Amino acid sequence: MYAALVLCMCISCKSTSLAVYFCEQIEHTLSPQGILGNCSKMADEVEQQTTTNTVEEPLDLIRLSLDERIYVKMRNDRELRGRLNAYDQHLNMILGDVEETVTTVEIDEETYEEIYKSTKRNIPMLFVRGDGVVLVAPPLRVG
Amino acid sequence: MKIMSLRKQTPSDFLKQIIGRPVVVKLNSGVDYRGVLACLDGYMNIAVEQTEEYVNGQLKNKYGDAFLRGNNVLYISTQKRKM
Repeated sequence: MYAALVLCMCISCKSTSLAVYFCEQIEHTLSPQGILGNCSKMADEVEQQTTTNTVEEPLDLIRLSLDERIYVKMRNDRELRGRLNAYDQHLNMILGDVEETVTTVEIDEETYEEIYKSTKRNIPMLFVRGDGVVLVAPPLRVG
Repeated sequence: MKIMSLRKQTPSDFLKQIIGRPVVVKLNSGVDYRGVLACLDGYMNIAVEQTEEYVNGQLKNKYGDAFLRGNNVLYISTQKRKM
């Protein structure tokens, strides 16, 4: 019976562990998986890389809204309400039965009061470029 | 429970720690969102629950999940809610 003292370090989290391995023959080699199995912190790292269904990204949660009506807030004071048909990692979206609301603020020259105006238009099918998107949410419930 | 510590901490460690906590997310446009952090990713795309939107005064309440695109995020901060 031979004993090997191994110092191993996880290259991503830099945590180290010291372990003693016993083997029957001196030529036995240690596999990285075998070493990882003894370091709980490193095992967690491996787990997160292989099983991505345990940690959901925000984009995974948007996937749950597919075919549902959503509210999208965009740059330049624009809002969209429509049915989410498709999306991608850039947040490019295909929306059906869309109502777009453009909000403008006019300032009266004399009274200096702010006048909020909104313009709406309906679009049956719309491709939205992702870089204009600010927020995505289920439709707002007034009240 | 302290989050701030003297040891070196990468931003990604911080992001893992604050999931589930009430946070303040400020966007480049100045709009403020307060809610419970559901999840986020390396691009700083964020999913927040029970979100409230603040622009000067309170504007809109968003219930359920709100997704914020990462490029608009200025910062994510934890808050101690006394509400």
